[in-house]
Amino acid sequence: VASIEIPRREWQELIAKLLGNMTQQGAPAPLKQATLEALGYVCEEISPEHLEQDQVNAVLTAVVQGMNQTELSPEVRLAAVKALYNALDFAESNFANEMERNYIMKVICDTAVSKEVEIRQAAFECLVAIASTYYVHLDPYMQTIFNLTANAVKGDEEAVALQAIEFWSTICDEEIELQEEYEGSDDANSTVNYRFIEKALPSLVPMLLETLLKQEEDQDQDDNVWNISMSGGTCLGLIARTVGDAIVPLVMPFVEGNITKPDWHCREAATFAFGSILEGPSVEKLAPLVQAGFDFLLNTTKDPNSQVRDTTAWTLGRVFELLHSPASANPIITSANLTRIMTVLLESSKDVPNVAEKVCGAIYFLAQGYEDAESISSVLTPFLPNLIAALLSAADRADTTHFRLRASAYEALNEIVRVSNISETSGIIGQLLQEIMRRLNLTFDLHILSSGDKEKQSDLQALLCGVLQVIIQKLSSSDAKSIIAQTADQLMFLFLHVFACHSSTVHEEAMLAIGALAYATGTDFVKYMPEFFKYLEAGLQNYEEYQVCSISVGVVGDICRALEDKILPFCDGIMTVLLKDLSNSMLNRSVKPPIFSCFGDIALAIGDNFEKYLPYAMPMLQGAAELLAVLDHTDEDMVDYGNQLRRGIFEAYSGILQGIKGAKAQLMIPYASHLLQFTEAVYKDRSRDESVTKAAVAVLGDLADTLGSSSKDLFKSNLFHVEFLRECHDLDDEVRDTASWAQGMINQALVS
Amino acid sequence: MAPPPPHRPYKRPAISDQQRRRDLALQAQSARRADAQARARSLANSLLSPSSAAADTAVE
Repeated sequence: VASIEIPRREWQELIAKLLGNMTQQGAPAPLKQATLEALGYVCEEISPEHLEQDQVNAVLTAVVQGMNQTELSPEVRLAAVKALYNALDFAESNFANEMERNYIMKVICDTAVSKEVEIRQAAFECLVAIASTYYVHLDPYMQTIFNLTANAVKGDEEAVALQAIEFWSTICDEEIELQEEYEGSDDANSTVNYRFIEKALPSLVPMLLETLLKQEEDQDQDDNVWNISMSGGTCLGLIARTVGDAIVPLVMPFVEGNITKPDWHCREAATFAFGSILEGPSVEKLAPLVQAGFDFLLNTTKDPNSQVRDTTAWTLGRVFELLHSPASANPIITSANLTRIMTVLLESSKDVPNVAEKVCGAIYFLAQGYEDAESISSVLTPFLPNLIAALLSAADRADTTHFRLRASAYEALNEIVRVSNISETSGIIGQLLQEIMRRLNLTFDLHILSSGDKEKQSDLQALLCGVLQVIIQKLSSSDAKSIIAQTADQLMFLFLHVFACHSSTVHEEAMLAIGALAYATGTDFVKYMPEFFKYLEAGLQNYEEYQVCSISVGVVGDICRALEDKILPFCDGIMTVLLKDLSNSMLNRSVKPPIFSCFGDIALAIGDNFEKYLPYAMPMLQGAAELLAVLDHTDEDMVDYGNQLRRGIFEAYSGILQGIKGAKAQLMIPYASHLLQFTEAVYKDRSRDESVTKAAVAVLGDLADTLGSSSKDLFKSNLFHVEFLRECHDLDDEVRDTASWAQGMINQALVS
Repeated sequence: MAPPPPHRPYKRPAISDQQRRRDLALQAQSARRADAQARARSLANSLLSPSSAAADTAVE
């Protein structure tokens, strides 16, 4: 009730009433406990701006009193710490005040050594929350907190130790964010980075390395397990990202000292430590270590203990992800060791499911290394048939309890297809296409007895549609396009069948695949439209699952380019839904810029038939342009969004201008002046990015091109374009070329 | 304040392939849109150039 009424200022006496329970002489412990719990819930539900500062002060006073050691009831003290956790967001001005902050921190640190484990855990949870919300105020308390966390990690119950480690992981999060935010900037107002991690490094790292030796048996099998060794390794990884090279000499002696010990805990901990520090330090620092230990790592895939093998496969994946770069002067993978690596990976893909899953991940990243160089990816060609066979068989044997192996196997397959040298492998990829289609067909015959069965069917169909999308995209970009043309009917039959399963993930994946198919088949796609249209329309209407909506908008663009004016019979339906989406405040805002771009795609496809939509589309474009004028420029996300919206609006205008050009060009005259004003506003806005600049100058050219002499006076009276186009000559080639083209069009208009 | 997540991702890659599929599809779409618009613009250029009288007539 409070969460509804307090924001409307309708229950102002609630807080005072609750606090009365706390200050009442001789209030019974259960009343105090219930009161603190109620205060905690209220703070959890409402936002800081809904409480006055004096109310916040009173809440904090009551909560801190409840935490005091003189309070005899542990239940009351626990309720108080939990209430404090929820009230921390409200305490901004209290944390800004040194005396109040000192007091709150002292009470929390005292509570962190209470004799009740639950209370200690809750106190550490408060410290974690403070690390993220009030990092800037933490400096004076760090020595005390370090001692508290070190004791907790060494000797306290696991629930408390986990929070103590989480405190340091959170400090890493903050410092990584600070480094990323202010990288290369000399902004004097930037938030201070205390480099707590760097300072604590010599004590912190040994403390965490110790935790790695506390593994449980079979811990990698269950997603719900979270224990001290997992948490310690994760924190170590974050520390590596925070401090870079400095962590390496602190960790390597532990790796070297444990990697060959008879106890599997030691071997696993050593491998986990090594794998954890691979992101952060420089390639120069890590590459020699990886090269020296690489053969050892490959051998460890045969370790008798499956947890060691699991961590080894994961570490190999990290090596490939972070350090494998065929173009580098000193590559990790060479023609000399590739065959051995492949043999090991193929063999290990038959290991127990959790290990095989990590091996699939390693194959994924190994393939990804060849992404930017199709010619280099030829080195994978001889291994392709065996890799595909191994991954298909890994996907097949994934039993019902290990869905992730199946997902990893298909995703590795996707990456292999993406990087393959298609001129050498189109035959193999064509066969794979047939096999994946066969598998998708089989999913329709699965016996569905429960919602769990249905979910598994949908998940599998989504994965298979994903593979089909990747294959279609790959083949359609090559001379092997004919394979798609020959199988398009079967593919479309399968996708339409998949739509009948009502799952948003499947819907999205099938949509993506259909977009690729439309591009590959061109105008032939028109024969599928009558049947497909209802699913497309449903996708466009699905504002609740906005990813489906977003992908569907993109597919409309694909279909426009494929069908050109053959899309006309479907445009009334499409435009109706798109216009509705634009007005829908429940639809995620990220979908709206692509909808504008989509207007441009439609107009470009149907030419001056777009005339009938002008009275609806143009006010939307003008409204969005006006909205941009009042956008909050201090919010980075809004600046990004503003740029997306501007690009969408310009792409819409470009498509519409080019589409309408010709006999009906005069229809655009009433909109020209507004468009120029908007373009001028964008020109003056320094937050525009280069893609917006390019779209803006393109639209200037389109306007001149479409309206010709009718735009002469407009360009003469709005001279900002002179300076705008001149500035573009200092930008990259694409913008410069577009600007030159636009200049040519404007010159033609001016002399006409 | 939302309750903390049960735990951090453990031995998991940061980016999902599904997100990659979306991103790559999006990239391909904007590249094709740019191509389509560039084609329309180069048609405009060719119609304006002196050597395209034949094309001009054909369009008319």
